[in-house]
Amino acid sequence: MTPTSISPYVVETAGLTKRFGERTVVRDVELRVPRGAAFGYLGPNGAGKTTLIRMLLGLTPATAGEMRLLGLPVPERRADALAHVGAIVEEPRFHGHLSGRENLRVVAAARDRAAFDRIDGSLEQVGLAARAGDRVKTYSLGMRQRLGIARCLLADPELLILDEPMNGLDPAGIQEFRSFVRDFVAEGRTIVLSSHLLDEVEKTCDHVAIVDGGTIVAQGSIAELRGDGHVVFVEVDDTTRARRVLAENAAVERVVDDGEVLAVSILDPRAVPDLNRRLVEAGVAVNRLDLQRASLEQRFLEITTRLENAA
Amino acid sequence: MTTLALPTPRLVGADILKLRRNRSLAAVTGVLTVGAVAITITVMEVLHVANSTKHGPAGGVQNLGHVAFLIAMLGTAAAAIVGSRAGAGDKDAGVYRDLVVTGRSRVSLYLSRIPGGLAFLLPFVAAAYALEAVSAVALAGSKPVPDTRLLALTGLWTVLEVTFFYLLSVAVAALLGSRSYAIGVVLAFRLAITPIVASISALGIVRELMPGVAMESLTPAGLGNAARQGSHIAMSTGAVAAVLIVWSVAAVVLAGWRDTTRDA
Repeated sequence: MTPTSISPYVVETAGLTKRFGERTVVRDVELRVPRGAAFGYLGPNGAGKTTLIRMLLGLTPATAGEMRLLGLPVPERRADALAHVGAIVEEPRFHGHLSGRENLRVVAAARDRAAFDRIDGSLEQVGLAARAGDRVKTYSLGMRQRLGIARCLLADPELLILDEPMNGLDPAGIQEFRSFVRDFVAEGRTIVLSSHLLDEVEKTCDHVAIVDGGTIVAQGSIAELRGDGHVVFVEVDDTTRARRVLAENAAVERVVDDGEVLAVSILDPRAVPDLNRRLVEAGVAVNRLDLQRASLEQRFLEITTRLENAA
Repeated sequence: MTTLALPTPRLVGADILKLRRNRSLAAVTGVLTVGAVAITITVMEVLHVANSTKHGPAGGVQNLGHVAFLIAMLGTAAAAIVGSRAGAGDKDAGVYRDLVVTGRSRVSLYLSRIPGGLAFLLPFVAAAYALEAVSAVALAGSKPVPDTRLLALTGLWTVLEVTFFYLLSVAVAALLGSRSYAIGVVLAFRLAITPIVASISALGIVRELMPGVAMESLTPAGLGNAARQGSHIAMSTGAVAAVLIVWSVAAVVLAGWRDTTRDA
């Protein structure tokens, strides 16, 4: 791996916009992917994730804005940048009549000579060496996903961009994929993983951008986006009195009452014993105190719900 | 890595691999070239052996012309099939975008299909013609035997016809982004539209703009009318060269431009 730039970001965009006729699919996107991160690009279907990836990779031109890949401006220095990038856009596709190895040879031919030397190693790395001589039309979807990753590895990539890579993988395959991502990032490389699966992104990535309606609505480390917040579910005999007591506590951010259980947002989980003591001292019978860390999914829903309400 | 417009040998090799490993494509190409010639010669020779007073031998100059015409026409069909596969095969398979994201120039990806496809197609055409050339001499019997010069000119003409329509097929496939449409367009153009236009004498010199007409006027004189379809329109060598070059360059440039500017 030969680093192409000392920029702290492997992907930077400014005002990136894509319009199809009157329809704006990607709007003023300012994306920054830190070097060495496992970066999740998260959003619902139709949010413009794939279009942004296609622009970054030079598959479709941007309507407006600027992009830098590995510190190099694209499309001006697209070839130099893409020489160090591996990518799967949408589902991985292959020539079905060729074997897995032959499909890699076809793509290696479009890269530099060293890519040929990486074919066997790439197949080994994704666990396809034994089936490399079989025609791809006999492969399962999961095997095709793995072959797609092997194809990316031919570039010895600094940056790997994967569009919905978990599609078609069985649970064991997903575990292997997470392990692959961890190892890849541990080598100082960067992976951008576009997905609509919040849970998977949360388990696999350390940074994330949330996109909705073609716009990035939040980005940062997963810890930042979750706000490091926690929620305590409190079940009591008198919710009115309990709310009053909790509202007087400085550690409490917000209390949501669903009638039976109070969802209490707190900044510091160490405040839970104190909450319990104050409730008991105020004469409130506490039946249950259940501390949970706020998930990315909760934050995602909060953000998108807030946007919907604002609209 | 710098952007290279010219295809590298490895890229051409990859295009050959994609075509060579396609069994059905190889089978169809073989049937349309070597197979058709072998069947034709066999039938003619069997008929001759069965009734030599009614059917002449399978060889000789005239049969060389007939079979060369057959190779040119069926070779054009093979060229349309192979050319459309080479021109739009990556897109049809959904692999084109994976080649583009390597950073390799799209012009290079496009141009590699031309030598790649010809390296696959022309050996079939050459084998078919070699079979015919040997038969024309060996099975001539009492008929005039073609000389070396006529054999060479006829072979060159056959290869030129197939090569030209291969180029056209790659270009049409790249323009349309579809194999099946490209095959239909090229075959209709060569086998239906060209003879119809050529037969409309009122069109005058406009007919000479058709590449099929120009190609037929290049038929070696020694073959007479044996390798021609319909009326012969005489054209100067310069005019023929101009028509074929303009068509080839226009088709390749237009398709190359389209291929390199559309969304991958």
